[in-house]
Amino acid sequence: MQIREYLLRRLMIFPLIIVGTSIIVFGLSRVGGNPVAIYLEHEMSPAEVAELEERYGLDEPLPLQYLAWARGVLTGDMGWSGVSAQPVTEALVNRMGATLELAIFSAIVAISLGIGLGTFGGARRNRWPDHLTRVFSISGASMPIFWFAILLLILFWVNLGWFSTGRSEPTIFSSIAHPTGVYTFDALLAGNFRALLDALHHLVLPAATLGFGATAIIARMMRSSLVEELSEDYVDAARAKGLPERLVLRRHARRNALIPTVTVIGLGFGFLLQGTVVVEIIFRWPGLGRWMADAVLRGDQATIMAYVLFTSVLFLTVNLVVDIMYAYLDRRVVLGA
Amino acid sequence: MGRQMSSRAMKLMAVISILALVAACTGATTDTTEAPGGTEAPGGTEAPGTTEATEGTDAPGTTQAGDGDVSNPGLYVHAADDEPLSVDPAQVAAGEAGETVILQVYERLVEIGPGGPDLIPAISTEVPTVDNGLISEDGLTYTFPIREGVTFHDGSELTADVVKFSWDRALEMDLPEGNAGFLGDQIASTEVDGNNFVVTLNERNAAFLNSIVTSAVASIVSQEAVEANGGVEAGTPNDFMASNMVGTGPYTLAAWNRGENIQLEVFEDYWGDPASLDVRIDQVADTDVRALGLQAGDYDSIETDPTFIGDLEGAEGLEIFSGDFLLEPVHMGMNMNIPEGALPPEDTIPVDFFHDVNVRRGFNLAFDYQAFVDGAMAGLGGPIPHYLPQGMLGYDESLPTYERDLAAAEEAFREAGYWDEGFTMTVLAEEGGIFEIAGLVLADSMTELNPAFQIRVLAVVEAQFDDAHAQDPFQYAAWIKNADPFADPAALFDAYIHPDGEWGSVHGFREAYADPDQIASLVDEAAVELDQDRRAEIYQELATILYDDPVWLIPGNERALMAHRSWVQNFDMNPLWPRPSLKFQYFDK
Repeated sequence: MQIREYLLRRLMIFPLIIVGTSIIVFGLSRVGGNPVAIYLEHEMSPAEVAELEERYGLDEPLPLQYLAWARGVLTGDMGWSGVSAQPVTEALVNRMGATLELAIFSAIVAISLGIGLGTFGGARRNRWPDHLTRVFSISGASMPIFWFAILLLILFWVNLGWFSTGRSEPTIFSSIAHPTGVYTFDALLAGNFRALLDALHHLVLPAATLGFGATAIIARMMRSSLVEELSEDYVDAARAKGLPERLVLRRHARRNALIPTVTVIGLGFGFLLQGTVVVEIIFRWPGLGRWMADAVLRGDQATIMAYVLFTSVLFLTVNLVVDIMYAYLDRRVVLGA
Repeated sequence: MGRQMSSRAMKLMAVISILALVAACTGATTDTTEAPGGTEAPGGTEAPGTTEATEGTDAPGTTQAGDGDVSNPGLYVHAADDEPLSVDPAQVAAGEAGETVILQVYERLVEIGPGGPDLIPAISTEVPTVDNGLISEDGLTYTFPIREGVTFHDGSELTADVVKFSWDRALEMDLPEGNAGFLGDQIASTEVDGNNFVVTLNERNAAFLNSIVTSAVASIVSQEAVEANGGVEAGTPNDFMASNMVGTGPYTLAAWNRGENIQLEVFEDYWGDPASLDVRIDQVADTDVRALGLQAGDYDSIETDPTFIGDLEGAEGLEIFSGDFLLEPVHMGMNMNIPEGALPPEDTIPVDFFHDVNVRRGFNLAFDYQAFVDGAMAGLGGPIPHYLPQGMLGYDESLPTYERDLAAAEEAFREAGYWDEGFTMTVLAEEGGIFEIAGLVLADSMTELNPAFQIRVLAVVEAQFDDAHAQDPFQYAAWIKNADPFADPAALFDAYIHPDGEWGSVHGFREAYADPDQIASLVDEAAVELDQDRRAEIYQELATILYDDPVWLIPGNERALMAHRSWVQNFDMNPLWPRPSLKFQYFDK
C-alpha cells in the first residue's frame, strides 16, 4: 500500500519535473548561442541568416518558440538535427539503441564484477585478496577513462589485432534487419549467431572501458558495506546457530550490504551516461554521447535540447526504479517519509 | 523468492559476461574468400594487386597488417574527421565534409584532373576554350557539348536538359547554407541547344571554369530522382537529396550509417574507366584513434594533422604523403571596422588600431614564421606572398614574403606610436588546433619583441567561433582561421583582398589601403581577363603592393599531407580538389 502511494506520488511529480527541465534546457540552449550557428558562414548576408532563422521558426518570440518546441516534443517532432542530417527524433531513435546497448552491457560488467569483487574483498578483510580488490577499485576510480581506452586500443587493436573500433563489421551488420536498434537484440531476433558474436565482439572493449570506473565504485561500496554488516550482532547470531559461513554471507550479510550499493548503482548509471560521450568518441560508437559531443562542438541546438531532455527523463526513470528496488530490498524503509 | 531472483539475475549476468568474453576470444568470422596469395577477403571480394598473406587474425575487419599483407582487399577505407551535414550539392557549403562524397559520386561538366590544375572533360566532352570556339569571343557564352550514353545510378539517362535542370534547381532552391550564390552571381541564362548546354554570364569571368563549373554546387543530379522525391522548392532543402545521392560518377552511395561510415560502391555502368576499389569512409573524430587504426591496418589513409605526424613517421607499413601546398593558408584577419565599445575590457587598443599600415606591417614582421611552420606544421609548410598560395596562378618564388625581422618590426611600431606605451589585444581562434597554436606563437612573438605588447588568445569551440566569425561588424580586433579553398585567384582576391569584397567590407579595407581604388581596379581587371599570362602579371603586381600594404597576417601555408598504408597504389592528392583532396577512383591496392 505504501509502495503504491509512493509510486503514485512520484509519477504525479514526474511530468512537472520534466516540464521544469524542458524550460531550463530550452533557456540554456538560447543562452548557449545562435541556434542556426551550425549553418552560419561568414559570407552569409543578414538576410540569409534571417531566412535560416525563419525556416526554423526562430524569428518568433522566445515563449512561442518554446511552445512550438514543446508541442513538437509531444508529437514526436523535435526539429532537424544538423549534425545527423535527419530529423532529431529519427536520429535520437537510431542512436538510442547503440547507447542503451553500451550502457546496459557496461552496467552488466560493472554490477556483476563490482558486487562480486566487493563481496570477495569484504569477506576477506585485510587479507591479500582484499588488498587486491582495493587496488583495483582505486585504479578504476582514478584512471582517466580516455587514457584507459587508448591503452586498451594499443594493446588489443594495434598489437594483438583482436578487436577494432566501431559497433560492427559493416558487412555483417547490414546482413540483418534492425527493428530495435540494439544490435545484440536484433541479432537474436534474426536468429543470426554470427551477427550476435559480431555485436558482442565489438562491445567488449567499450563496455569494459565504461564499466571499469563504475565497477570500481560499486566494488568499493560493496566491500565497505559488507565489512560493516559482518560485524553486526545478527551475523554473530547466525554463526552461533551453526549456519555455514557461506550461507551467512550470501543469505544475510550480502543482502543487507546490497542496500547502499543499489543506491550507488543508480547514481552509477548517471556516470555511465556521462562516460558514453568519451567512450563513444574513442571507440567510434554511433550513440547518443557522440551525437551530443558533435552537436555541442558544432552548435546544433536542436540536438542538444533533445539529448538533454532524453537523458533527464532516463535519469529520473532510473532513479525511480532504484528507489523502488531500495524499498524492495529493505521493507523497513518508510517510503516518501 | 527475492533471494532466488537475485541469485538468478547474478547468474544471468555472469553468463552474459562469459559469453562476451568468449566472443572476445573467438571474434565473429566474416564471409571470406581466398584472395590471390591467400589473404582473406571480406564479403567475397577478390582483391586486385593483393600480396601474399602472412598469419593474421580472423577478427572482423581487423586483419593484422604486416609487411606484404593487405587489409580489406577490394575495399579502400579512409578515416575522416568529420561527417557531412548534407550530401545535396545544392546545400553543401565550401569546405564542408559533404563535398568529399559529392566529389566521388557526382560529376560536373568539367573536372580538375589528377596531378595538376588542368581541366579535363567530364559530362562535357570538351573543355571550352576560345580557341575551340566553345567560349564566345566576348567571353560571355560557354557551350558544353553533353556526353552521350551516360546513365545515372538510378538508370535514368543524362541529357542536356538534365544538366540545365541541375543548375536551375540549385539556383531556384538558393539555400543560404549552400553555394548557389556562387552560380547565381555569374549566370545570366542557361539554355539547351540540341545536345549542348549553353551558359551566358553577366560579365566575363576568368575563373568561371576553374572555380564555378568544377564546384560541388555545379554537380549534375538525376532529374528523375529529384522529381520523385520532393521536387524543387525555393528556399527549402530537399530531405531526400540531403541524405541520398543519384549521380553519374564512378561510385554509388551504398549506405550512410550516420555516425559510423559512408559506403561507396563501384558503379559498374560508369561511362569512363571504372574504379578498382569500393570505398568506406569511417567517421573517426579522435586523432589518436585514426593514427592507431592506420597502424593496425584497418585504415588505408587517415585525415592527417601535422601535429601528430611525428608519431607515424618511420612506422612499418606506413607512408607519409607530402604533396603540393594546400590552398587554404592559415591567416589572421585584422579588423579595421571595430565598433565602438565592442572590444573586451582587457583590450587597450583603439578601434582604428589597424588603420595604420605600420601596425599591420609590424605584426607581419614580428611573427615567428619558422617556429610556427616547424612546430604546428611539422616543417611541412611555408610562408606565401599576400595573397598567392603556392600553385595558384601568378605565384612566383621571387615575390616578396614576410620573414621575421624584429628590428624592422620595432621600427614600425615606433613609427605607429605604440612602442613605449604598449597594448593589449584579444585574438579570437578556434580551440585545440593549428589556429590556436598560431595565436600562441603570435602572443610569444609580440611579447618577445616588446614585453608591453600583450596578445590574449581567446580560444573557443568551433560553434562559438563560427557564430562570432559570422558577425558583421566583427566584434574583436582580430581572428585566426584558414582561408576558404579557392581553385582560382579571382575568388581568393575577391574574398580576401578586394576593398569591397566579402572580407573587405566586413573588415573595412577601404579605411586601410593606401589606394583602395587601385587595388579594386586590379582585382576586377584580373577577374575578367581571359589571357592567363596577363592575369598572372596582375596578381603579381597585387602581391607586391600588398607586401607593403598588408591587410592579413599569414602565419603559413600547409602542404597537402596524408598518412597512408604502403600497400595503396597510385596514391596522390590534388589540393585543388575539396578536402581531403582525394579521388578514390584512381587508387588500387
